Order: sequence, then C-alpha cells, then structure tokens
Amino acid sequence: MKKIVLAEDNSTLSLLLKFRLEKDGYQVLIAEDGKKAIELIEEHDPHLILSDIMMPYISGLEVISHVRNKLKKQMPIIVFSAAGQEEMVLKAFNLGANDFMGKPFSPNELVIRVKRLLSI
Amino acid sequence: MIDFQNFTEYFKQLPIILKIIWVLIFLLSISILGLILYLKKLRINLRANEKKFVKFQKIYEEILINYLYAGDEENKISTEQEKLINKIKREIKSKFKRNIIISVMSKLIDDISGEMADSIILFYFETGLINHSLKKLKSNKWNIVASGIKELAQFKVTDVNDEIIKHIKHPNREVRNEAQLYLVGLFHFKGLEFLDNFKTPLSEWDQIQLLETLQNFDNQEIPNISPWLKSENHSVVKFALKLARIYNQFDVIDTLLELLKHENQEIRVQAINVLGYFQDTNSKDFLKNNFVNASEEEQIAFFKLLENSADSNDETFILEHIKSDVFEIKLAAFKILKINNFEKFQEVKLIMEDEQCIEIVKFLENN
Amino acid sequence: MDSNTVKIILLSIHYLFFIYASSVLISYILLAFISARESIEYMKRNSFVNYSEILSSTVSPSISIIAPAYNESLNIIENVRSLLSSHYVNYDVIIVNDGSKDDSLEKLIEAYDLVEVNYLINKHLSTKPLRKGVFKSTNPAFEKLLVVDKENGGKADALNCGLNISQSEYVACIDVDCLLLEDSLQKMIKPFLEATDEKVIASGGVIRIANSCVIRQGKLIDVNLPSKMIEIAQILEYLRSFLLGRMAWSRLNGLLVISGAFGIFDKKLAITIGGYDTKTVGEDMEIIVRMRRYMEEKKVKYRVAYIPDPLCWTEAPDNYKILISQRNRWTRGTIETLKMHRKIGFNPKYKLLGMLSYPYWFFYERLAPIIEVIGILYFLILVALKNVRWDYAFAFFLASYLFTVLFTIIAIFSEELTYHQYKKSKTGFKLLLVTFLEPFVLHPFILYAAIKGNIDYYFNKKKKWGEMVRKGMSQPSN
Repeated sequence: MKKIVLAEDNSTLSLLLKFRLEKDGYQVLIAEDGKKAIELIEEHDPHLILSDIMMPYISGLEVISHVRNKLKKQMPIIVFSAAGQEEMVLKAFNLGANDFMGKPFSPNELVIRVKRLLSI
Repeated sequence: MIDFQNFTEYFKQLPIILKIIWVLIFLLSISILGLILYLKKLRINLRANEKKFVKFQKIYEEILINYLYAGDEENKISTEQEKLINKIKREIKSKFKRNIIISVMSKLIDDISGEMADSIILFYFETGLINHSLKKLKSNKWNIVASGIKELAQFKVTDVNDEIIKHIKHPNREVRNEAQLYLVGLFHFKGLEFLDNFKTPLSEWDQIQLLETLQNFDNQEIPNISPWLKSENHSVVKFALKLARIYNQFDVIDTLLELLKHENQEIRVQAINVLGYFQDTNSKDFLKNNFVNASEEEQIAFFKLLENSADSNDETFILEHIKSDVFEIKLAAFKILKINNFEKFQEVKLIMEDEQCIEIVKFLENN
Repeated sequence: MDSNTVKIILLSIHYLFFIYASSVLISYILLAFISARESIEYMKRNSFVNYSEILSSTVSPSISIIAPAYNESLNIIENVRSLLSSHYVNYDVIIVNDGSKDDSLEKLIEAYDLVEVNYLINKHLSTKPLRKGVFKSTNPAFEKLLVVDKENGGKADALNCGLNISQSEYVACIDVDCLLLEDSLQKMIKPFLEATDEKVIASGGVIRIANSCVIRQGKLIDVNLPSKMIEIAQILEYLRSFLLGRMAWSRLNGLLVISGAFGIFDKKLAITIGGYDTKTVGEDMEIIVRMRRYMEEKKVKYRVAYIPDPLCWTEAPDNYKILISQRNRWTRGTIETLKMHRKIGFNPKYKLLGMLSYPYWFFYERLAPIIEVIGILYFLILVALKNVRWDYAFAFFLASYLFTVLFTIIAIFSEELTYHQYKKSKTGFKLLLVTFLEPFVLHPFILYAAIKGNIDYYFNKKKKWGEMVRKGMSQPSN
C-alpha cells in the first residue's frame, strides 16, 4: 500500500483528504506542521508528499528543501497554498516540487493528480 | 455580642476621615472576596467550555466528512446524508453548538472548491443553518450583523443581495466591510458597482481584502474602471489605480495621465507608479517639465518610471540629476545611464568626487 | 518657628500626600475603565477578521523586522527561525549583529547558508560602520533573511543601521529573543491600514512573559505559569500595565511609550525625525515622544495604536539582581526622555501630548518613587518622634493594600475574559496568592531600583545597558 504524508494545519481539511485518499487505497499520515512532517517523512519514507506552504514552525518550502537537498529523496511533492502567491509557487518549483494547487481547490482534482503522479 | 457593641461604639466616635476609610476597607474586602469566588467559577467554566468545544468539534468534523462522502452518484441527497442532516438539525438549537458547526464548515469551505464545496453549501441550506444566519442580519448589534453577512458570503447565499446592499452604508465600519466582501465574493467584479456612488473612505485594509477576494476568480471580465478613476472619493481612485495595475488595464492610460495633475499627492505618485509599470512614455514630457514643482516622492516615482522606459531623449535630463541630493534619484540616474549609455557612464564616473556617488558606481559595477 | 506654623506645614504635607494618593487612585480607576471598554471593542472588531487574506496579498505593505543582537549566540539560530516563520508575505528579517564578541555570526552563516553580498546602503542615519558586512542566504527558503555585522554601537545604533538598510515601508523593531506569534505582523499592521482620516505612526504590542513556557525551535508550544514568585509578580505587573493602562492611553491617543521589545513604525517618519537616539538608555520611549512631537508640530492628525493580543513573548528577569538592573535602566530612560522633551510639558501647543500625557508620566511615573520614599521617610521620622497616629496609619495602609490587591484581581479578570492564557488548573490559585504577596515580594525592589536609578542618573554617568544573562529559551519547563 502506498504511503502519503500530508502536511496541513487545517485539521478539518486534512481529515477530509485523509478520508478520501484512504478510500482510494492509500495510507495517509497527517502532520500539523512542518516539523512533524519532516519527522514523518524521515520515519516512513512515503511515496508522495502533500504539503501546504504556510505552516507553523517550518514552512512547506523548507520541507521541500529538506527532502530534496538533505534527504536527497525524489518522491513526488504536491504543494498547495492560498491563491495569488506567484512567488511562492516559483520558489516551490525551484526547490523541487512537482505540482501546485492553489486554495481553494477541489479535493477530487487533488486525488486525480495524486493518482497520476503515483502511477508514473 | 459584646464585641460587636464595642466595635460599633468605637466606630461611632471615629473622626470622619477614618470612618470613610474603614467603610472603604469593608467594601474593598467584600469586592475582593466576591471577585475571587467569581474568578474561580469563571476559570472552571472556561476550561469546561474549551473541553466541550474540542469534543464537539471532533464530532461535527466526522459528521460533516461522512456526509460529504455519503452521497450517491446523482446530485441527490442519499438516505445516509438525510440521517446526518436531521441529526445536525437537532444539534443546532444550541447556540454554542451552532457556532462550532459553522466554524468547522467555514474551515472547509474556505479551502475547498468544486463539487465538495457545493455539497457543503447544500448541507448549510438543508440543516437550516441558513435561517440562523438570516436572523443575524436583523440584529441590533453590529458585530452580530457583520458575522451574519460573513456567513452568508461564505456559503454563497445570493438571494439576500438586496438586504445586504443596504448595509453598504451602515455606520459601523466592520459591517460595511463585510457587506462589500459579500458583494464582491458572490458577484465578482459586478459586486464593485457600489463604488459608483461611494462616499465613505475605503481604507487600505478594505481595499486589500477586496482585491484578494477578486483574485480568487479566474474570469477576468473587469468592467470599465475609468469612472472610478475620476471619482470624487480619493480612496476609490486609489483602489481603481490598484485595479488598473493588477489587471493590466492599458486602456485607461489617458485617464492616468489626467491623474498626474490630481490634487492628492498620493494619487499622483500612485499614478506615476502604474504608468511606470505599463512602461508608458507619454507621460515623460509632462513629468519632466513639472519636475521641479513636484514633491520628492513624485520625483523618485518618476525616476522609477524612467528606469523602465528611458531612451536617448532623456539623457540630458538624467545627467542633470546625477548630482541630486536625493539618494534614490542619484542611484536611479546612474542605473539608467549605465544601461542606456555605458560610455557616458564611464566618462561621468571618472569625474565623480562625491563619496556617495562613488559608492553607488562601485555597487552598480559589481552587480 | 512656633508650633502653629509647624502644625500648618505638617497638615499641608498630609493633605498633599492625600491629594496625590487619591489622584493616583482615581486615575487608575479611570484608566482601567477606559481600557476595559477598549479591549472589549477590540475583541468584537477582530472576532471575525480573516487575517489570512492579508497575509497572502501582494498588495500588503512591506515590513522589515529589525532585530539587534549582541552576544546572543546561545539562542540566535532558534530566534531567527522563529522570526522567519511569520505568516506574512511581504516582509524580511534584518538581524543586526552589533559587534558581538561571540560566534553568533558564524553560527548563523552555517545554519542558514549565508554568503556575503554587495549591498548598497542609503545612509540616512549615521551609524557605526560595518564590520564583516552584509549577508544573505543561498537557500531560497531563507530568502527573507539578511544579516548585518557591524561595529558595536548599542541597541539604538543597531536599530538605526537596520532603518538604513531596510527597503520596506514599515519596520518592526524587536528584541531578537522575543518570540513572535505567526500572525503578529498582520495584527500589528492592521491599524496602519484601517486608518482613514488620521495617520498611524506607530503601533505597539503587549509583551507576555515566556518564563517556564514550553518553546521549541522558536515556537510557543505551551503556556505555563512560571515557578518563582518574582516571575509571577512580574506577570501581574505586566497585566495591569498593559491590559488596564496602555489600552486606555492608546484610546485617548496619549500613549507615550511602546515597548522596545516589539513595535512597528512608519519607516519614513522614523528616519525623518532622525532615528533612534543613541545617547539615551530609554530609546524606545524617546523615539515615540519625538515622533509624536514632530506630528504635533506639523499639525497633522495622527495616532499611536496599540494591540492587546498576546503576540510577543519574552524572558523576564528571574532574579532580583537582574530585575533591579532592568528597572534601574527603565527609570533612567524615563528621566532622560522626560528631560529631553521638557519643552512639551504643560505646553498647550502640544495639546494632549503636552497637557495630559507628559504631566501624567512626570507626576505618576517619574516622581512616584520619590514621593513614596519621602512618604516612608516621613513616616519613619514620625515613628522615631513617637508622633504616629497608629489608627490612621493602620487604616490608611490597609486601604491602600486592599486597593492594590483589588486592582490586580481586576487585571487578572480582564485577562481571563479576553485571552485566557493561563488555563491550567492551580494557576488561578497561584496568581491570586502572588496578588496578595506582590506588595511585599516585588514592589519594594522596584522602588529600590527606581531610587537607585535616580541616584545613578544624577551622580553616576558611567552606567549603560546592563547585560541580561541569557538563560536559553529552549529549556523545557518543569
């Protein structure tokens, strides 16, 4: 079963996404902040990472940087954040993110993108 | 009994000042005691409420998520969903619980779009929560009215449009702000029509919120903003200038040129900034001629404009200001010269004696 | 001198004391009342604000956080991380390493991948020169960080250097060891943006005491009540001062001081008036008074705003020695500032600033310790002369003690009704216990420090900023 780490500080949203992704057969681990996210990633070595950019503690950008540069892992990363942050998006891609979704987003579409990235 | 009598005798023969002080002491002691007891009760209540809040938040989160995933293929309400709706209908009779449910739904609806968002909105209608929001609109307290408008905006209730428009002129600033956000959130650019006759000042905070709400929508059929640029309300003009820039309204350049003569300095500066962003060249002559009369901010803004659109015709003007007292102008002048006429730049740099100029030149050469 | 004259003089002295004491009482009550109303208004107004809108907006104004650092090596990495994780888009963090003698700079370079950059500084304000230069990070995740290493010049000088370097519209001047909550910048910048007919020149925040709170890697995890009485007493003092005092002054637009630990200023204005004054130890108060004075002289409508939300958490002294040194410095700062700007005192040209704020600060803050000591000495003389009316003395002392206690309890109350930060059981009990003990446990030392401050100001010009021994914010609580 493929593992996904979800870093998102909106607890209701993470629950929603976890529910949906688990229905589709993935195992989802939730982190409420960047620090917990990194811990989970290091411990479980997931197949995919979903991360919000604006998070307490350690930002999503740092998570990407840590995963690509320090852990040297290449698993796909999808980031999401509030709309209108072009700069953030560019930075995220420069640091190594694979895809970006602006909030508000459709959970259905997120799942489609997750499936696409995990089937490559 | 004896003690009490002694005490009253003693008290009666005290001078007035002491009597007052002792009465004061008595009152203070009673108040302190009372407040201590009340404080204890308050803390217990607050703690209990918090526990309750967390507990119910979890419950409602689960109910909501179950509801969202219990739908069947068509857009009808399944029996499972019906059950959950009825459950919530009973819960929302309590104001405390109602607030929790609304907050849980708000957390989701702010971040989610598409089918799921529509589903949440349906839930809002079916459970009757909408009626409570509508009731809030009729309250006497401004914060309740504002909160009601906000909920109606979040859950996209369009029918109450007429009622909410009335609140655009509400005496309280927060209510006005929520009404504006409602109109823009639901009707996008069309919601900005209230600007046509808007007499109260639109603060920067309001403007930022409106702009952010507008950015959430992909269809950019922005209306003609010229009337707003000519508004008597200066804050409306400033807002329109921001719109011009963000939505690349090149066709209002003529109106912008007019604004260079506006009575309000901030507007003049902002107009120069937008023209600079558009890399406009029509304004250059006017601004050059007007330069000595302009304020420092306008002068600096003009040089920023020149950074984007300077050409050889401007060279004499630039050279005049290489020695300006204003740091930003000096820096901009050197920058422009270096890009446009590198030889001249080399020439000029050799005769510079001013320490600041030397620093600027050194910096430009290394970057 | 015959006995009648003596009697009259004594009586006048008694009446003066009485008038002073009553006016203090009445002013406290008035301020508390206004503060309470203002806090409630504030909470209502912000109960449904969606701060996340402004945080992501590209139109939101630019803010530079300026944090001077001197020998902060123990915590500097964590503190910088905390500053970098603010949920605001348009901001940067300028750390001014003020000639530290330790390895602060080296630690920062390593932790944040810094390299020296060629940076052009517009020297609006004259400061001590740079030492190792200006550094920025090569890692895009730390793009907002800028570190300046300069020759030592003191806090004011370092802040001025930050003002020169910043390219933002607003500057947030903070103590580097202050923990800022994630939405601090949005909340503090809101007054500037909400104003329509008057200019907001500065906004200040409440300082909360972080002692014994659980802080990990620059984030506030858990709020605990500290263990030592001196720390708890300071919490009570801060609650009184911030929740029942400064809110009122902000409402009246008479606020004379914004804590140096956290305040946001209009950068252009700060530079226009000449930046911070390097010759005073009370630079945080002095710059506000100077800014206000400038605005009054220009006859422009303005305001100094105040945010009661708990946004900034910092360490308070946990032993008497450091506490006394801190209060000594505050006293000297107040004296210096009031002296520098005595022209505005009772000067109708300066309206509220001159006719209310300045006199209030002068009589009730600056002179209060002196009057209190004179009162105590007078009382002791009477005791020595066996001339004390013990019934009066006892009643008077008891009444003042009870009033202080009541006032503090009201402060605790406002805290419970607004932010309710001390939630754990038993903390209420401890707060009340210390309320009753504070007049014996804290007040005498503050009085002593204030007197010493006065003496040092007039007779001992060599004192400057004492060193606050860093205990380390990363240690877990008991």
